[in-house]
Amino acid sequence: MTPIVLGLIGFPIVLVLIFLRVPIGLAMLGVGIAGSAMITGSLNPVMAQFKNLTYSTYANESLSVVPLFLLMGQFATLGGLSAGLFRAAASWLGHRKGGMAMAAIGASAGFGAICGSSLATAATMGRVALPELKKYGYSDALATGAIAAGGTLGILIPPSIILVIFAVLTEQNIAKLFMAAFVPGILAALGYMLVTAVYVRVWPEGGGVRPRASYRRRLHEFLAIWPVLLVFVMVIGGIYTGIFTPTEAAAVGAAGTGLIALAQGSLDFDKVIGAILATATSTAMIFLIVLGAAALNGFFALSQMPQVAAAWVAEQGFNPWLVMAVVLVFYLIMGCVMDSLSMILLTVPIIYPMMLGLDFGLPPDEFSIWFGILVLIVVEVGLITPPVGMNLFIINAMSPGTRMTETYRGVLPFVVSDIVRTAILVAFPPITLFMVWLLF
Amino acid sequence: MFRDGSRLERFTYGLAKWTAVAGGVALLAMITIVIASIIGRAFIWAGLKPIMGDYELVGIGMGFAAFSFIPWAHFERGHALVSILTDLFSTRVNAWILVITDMMMVVAAVFIAWRLWLGMLDKFRYHETTILLGMPLGWAYALGLIGAVVLIPVSVFVLGRSFTYALAGKREPHKSGDVL
Repeated sequence: MTPIVLGLIGFPIVLVLIFLRVPIGLAMLGVGIAGSAMITGSLNPVMAQFKNLTYSTYANESLSVVPLFLLMGQFATLGGLSAGLFRAAASWLGHRKGGMAMAAIGASAGFGAICGSSLATAATMGRVALPELKKYGYSDALATGAIAAGGTLGILIPPSIILVIFAVLTEQNIAKLFMAAFVPGILAALGYMLVTAVYVRVWPEGGGVRPRASYRRRLHEFLAIWPVLLVFVMVIGGIYTGIFTPTEAAAVGAAGTGLIALAQGSLDFDKVIGAILATATSTAMIFLIVLGAAALNGFFALSQMPQVAAAWVAEQGFNPWLVMAVVLVFYLIMGCVMDSLSMILLTVPIIYPMMLGLDFGLPPDEFSIWFGILVLIVVEVGLITPPVGMNLFIINAMSPGTRMTETYRGVLPFVVSDIVRTAILVAFPPITLFMVWLLF
Repeated sequence: MFRDGSRLERFTYGLAKWTAVAGGVALLAMITIVIASIIGRAFIWAGLKPIMGDYELVGIGMGFAAFSFIPWAHFERGHALVSILTDLFSTRVNAWILVITDMMMVVAAVFIAWRLWLGMLDKFRYHETTILLGMPLGWAYALGLIGAVVLIPVSVFVLGRSFTYALAGKREPHKSGDVL
């Protein structure tokens, strides 16, 4: 078999293994090693490669951002910051129609600004907001749907672990990607609030209202979230202004949320161990996939399959925008069954060079950033689409007596808003890029 | 012998857990180094200075931490997988799939540790060092090797555990495995 044929059948084999429940990183690692050995006709090159590949993948200074951001999210959860954010958001929005659900979304956006993970955001917001929403008479469908959707803001609003991985994969600047993610992230939060407003007007039985809070109270609640603002300004501001490298910012963020948790008195020995172990599990999971991707991409590079595929797509003279639509729909569908990180590590090395060869009227650097944000959004939709949207499971499990179908129904309007927003961002690249133009 | 609460289970659990905690302590040390370095940089006018080679220290700490986390994640079944298709299969089939994938993990664990060991010997042999601090890379590899070696007995135990459940025709109880 020629190397290209091997490369072409390698990808479906990985998919088959993954669907047979082989851990994703392991499937990529195995096929990568076997494929490289078959192309070179000997095990020796792979054997030599693995003397250093594992270490250089794991001891990577850029990837150290990942566990640091994860730890930051853990401490932020322990520090009870989500409760403060929700109280503040509820005091401003709670008296509107559907206002408590909007508050949950706004608080998720705030939490997303100091946490790089969706599930952590959904889980902590679920604990804080779900009982309140039920108390004020919100339907199970709207309550669980809004909180599950709000959880995706954890990743959409920087810092974002997925963007770190995308940056490492495509050799892009993390700071620029974080910058570009900002406006789409805010648009996501506003879109979700708009959906809520429409939802409670179409189905008035879906939401209740809370008495209006005095401005004095609102100001008080808002000022109480200063630690969150401080950490956000230091981390994201530090990265944007170039004062901190991403690693430094992540370290500052972890230390900052750690100190807040300590000051709240919610950080004893067991909690710290718990935060470390949760960080360890997620980090090991991510790094195994990164290692698998390194092995698999080594194989694909040997086979020349990505270059040939990219050249083939460019030669066909397809309409670039049509290709973009197909790729994004592909991610939407894959996102229904696979977690976002695995999907990015598995497909971006093949799809990204292909897309880079098409003309969208943008310089390569700007295209990469724009494409990264689009991919980020569509893979995140996977967290709230049935059948395996992890956010839906987490929130549904927190709401005893709510049928899964109700949660599906409740989240559907939010998915629609995601798709509309993606279409807008595809049509108007400057929405994503102007922050980058502005500050670099 | 592989059942929950058995001596072997408690030992393996402790081994995986405390290895991961050691990695977490390294993570906290990295944070401390980075912040000390930032403070040093900010107060250069006052005679302080950033820590030399802070990035190399962070890289080495990361190597140790990342390897030390794997046994725990494997013990707790924290790895990302897709079960949408296999959910349609019977409990028995699923139990045996788990046995097979656990075998693959044992093979991967041995392979990774073995190659890392040889890589470490190379680094020692050629006296490779980090650029700024001149630290021997062999020792950095040795730190990574700790977690890689611990993964071997842990993955063997995890295999024994899933094998025991498969023989009994039962589903392994769900572990807490945190996902993103």
